[in-house]
Amino acid sequence: MAAQKRAATALANGGLFELPDELAIDTDVARRVIVGFIRGQLRQAGFERALLALSGGIDSALVAFLTAEAVGPERLLAVLMPYRTSSPDSRQDAEAVVAALGCPSKLVDISPMVDGYFAGASDASEVQRGNFMARMRMAVAYDNSVAWGGLVVGTGNKTETLIGYTTLWGDSACAFNPIGDLYKSQVRQMAAAVGVPERIIRKAPSADLWPGQTDESEGEFSYPELDRLLYWMVDKRRAPDELVSLGFEPSMVERVRRMVAGAEFKRQVPPIAKLGPRTAGIDYLYPRRRPGSARRS
Amino acid sequence: MASLRIALAQIAPRLGFLEENLARHRELLAEARDAGADLVVFPELGLTGYLLQDLAAEVAMRLDDPRLAALAAETTGLSAVVSFVEESADHRLFISAALIEDGAVRHVHRKVYLPTYGLFDERRFFAPGDVIRAAPSRLGVGLGLAVCEDFWHLAVPQLLALDGAQILVNVSSSPGRDLAAVNEVGLGTATSWRTLMRAYAQLTTSLVVFCNRVGVDESISFWGGSEVIAPSGRPLFSAPFYDEGLFTVDVDLADIRRERIELPLLRDERPELQARELARVIAERAGMSLDSTAEDGSSPGLDVAFEPPRRERASSQ
Repeated sequence: MAAQKRAATALANGGLFELPDELAIDTDVARRVIVGFIRGQLRQAGFERALLALSGGIDSALVAFLTAEAVGPERLLAVLMPYRTSSPDSRQDAEAVVAALGCPSKLVDISPMVDGYFAGASDASEVQRGNFMARMRMAVAYDNSVAWGGLVVGTGNKTETLIGYTTLWGDSACAFNPIGDLYKSQVRQMAAAVGVPERIIRKAPSADLWPGQTDESEGEFSYPELDRLLYWMVDKRRAPDELVSLGFEPSMVERVRRMVAGAEFKRQVPPIAKLGPRTAGIDYLYPRRRPGSARRS
Repeated sequence: MASLRIALAQIAPRLGFLEENLARHRELLAEARDAGADLVVFPELGLTGYLLQDLAAEVAMRLDDPRLAALAAETTGLSAVVSFVEESADHRLFISAALIEDGAVRHVHRKVYLPTYGLFDERRFFAPGDVIRAAPSRLGVGLGLAVCEDFWHLAVPQLLALDGAQILVNVSSSPGRDLAAVNEVGLGTATSWRTLMRAYAQLTTSLVVFCNRVGVDESISFWGGSEVIAPSGRPLFSAPFYDEGLFTVDVDLADIRRERIELPLLRDERPELQARELARVIAERAGMSLDSTAEDGSSPGLDVAFEPPRRERASSQ
C-alpha cells in the first residue's frame, strides 16, 4: 500500500508527457498486439483496406500510425472532416500525420451539412451542435468506407469510453477499435513509441467542437489524475473508501463514479425485447465473423 | 529412446474453419516429421479456433469422425497431440485433446476445468470432463494431457504425475492480458503461466510441455510463448510471443530419471493421506460432519452462524 501512495506520476520521454507509474505499459508488446489485432479484424471480415476519421488529435493520429503499420499506408484512407470553427492547427496536425505516413487522404468540409440542418435553429445548444458534428463525421466516414472498400477503424480511448465523453453513434461508431483499452496516458506513451509528431503529443486534448475547448478544462480534471483513478476503480476493483485511502479526493471519486455509471448505456448494445426462442445477443451467440460471413473468404 | 525431439506447433487457427485448420495440421505434421520430431503438440482447439460460442456444435467431431481418423492416419512413426470440440454419443460438447500416434487415436483428455469468469464463458457452451488419467505412449514414457485452465488447479499435474506421467503436456488458448511494464516480459498472463509451469515441473519432477496458440479471435489476442521445461524447473526453450511457427526442442528423457533419483518428491507423496483428509473436508462441506473451521453455532454445511452468540447480546443490553 505504501508503494501505491508514493508520488506516482513521472515525466516520461524527456518531459513530453506525464505518465503515472501504474499505467506504464510495455509499448513493444502493446504495439505487437494491436497491429496483430487490426490485421486479424480485417482478415476475418475479408477486407484489406481501412479508413479513419483523422482529427489532428493524438488518438486518431496513433490509430493512423498503427493501422498504417498493420496494413501498409497505401491501404489506409485518412478522412479529414473539419467544421468551419475547427482549429486550423488541428487541420495542420492531421496533414502532418498524412505526410508522415504517406497514406491517401480526403478532405470533407462538414460545415454545409451541419449549418444546413441548424439553419434558423439559433437556440441549438453547443452540445447539440457538437453531437451532430460527430454524427455527420460518422456518416461521411461510413459513406467513404463503401467507395474505399475498407472498414472504419475506431479511435476512442479507454478514459473517454469509461466516463462517457463520447457521442453515441458519432465518434464511437466503428467496425473495431484498436485503442479502446488504453487510457489517455497510455495513448501518449504509445504515440511517443510509434513516432507520432511531438507537437500532437504535447498539445492539450480537445474535442474541438468549439473554439478553445479542451477536455481538461471542460471536465476540471487532468488526464493523468483521472486515468489513475479509473485504473484503481475499474481495473483494480477498489471501492470508494479504498480510493480515498489511496489519496484521491472524495469529491472526485464520487463525481467520476457517477460519470462511469451514467455512461454504462453508451458501452452496450441496445437491449432487444425478448420474445422468441432465440434472440440476437442473448441466446443466439456467434462470433462477429465466421464461415460464410466474410466478403471474400 | 533417451533423446526426444518435441515440435511445438504455435499456430493461429482460423475461427470456425475446421477443414482449413485440418489441412494446416496435416502440413505441419509433415513438416515436423521432416524435421525429425517424435512428438508434435498443437494448441487447445487448434482445429476449430477458441471463441466459438454457438459455432461449437457446428464444428464438433465424435471420436469416430472420419476426419479425425484421417488426421491420425498421418502419424505413422510419430506422436501428436491435437485439440478440437468433441461430441459424445449423448451429445455433450467437450474441449478435448487427443494423443494420436502410429495412425490411431490413443487417448483423449476432456478439459476438466472450464473457466467461466472474467473474459471466459466456457461452461455456458461446454461440458466438463470427469477423468484425469495418464496415458502410455509409443515414446516409452507416460504422457499426461491437460488443457489450459486444467493447469490452474494444483490437483491436475499432481494426479497425472502420480498416475505415471513423466511428460505433462498442456495445450492452451491463453488470451494475453494485464499488459504491464512492471514484469519481466511485459505481460501479466505470461508471467503467471511461467511461474506455474516451472513450479509444476519441479514439484512433479516431470518434463512440462506447453503449447499456446497465437492469432486473434474477436477482441482477444493469444500470446504464444510455448515452452518446454526440464524436471528441475529450468526452462529449456521459450518460443517468441505472438509469432506463428513450428519450433523443435531436443530433450533428454534421462533427465527425468536423474531428477527423480536426486529429488524423490514423487516417491514421498502421500496420496492416501490426501484422500483421507479430502474425504473429511468433503464431508464437512456437505454438512455430514462437524466443520472444524466453522463459527460456533453454525448449521451443518454453513460456516457462519445465523445470529451472534448469545452472551455478546446479553452484554450489550
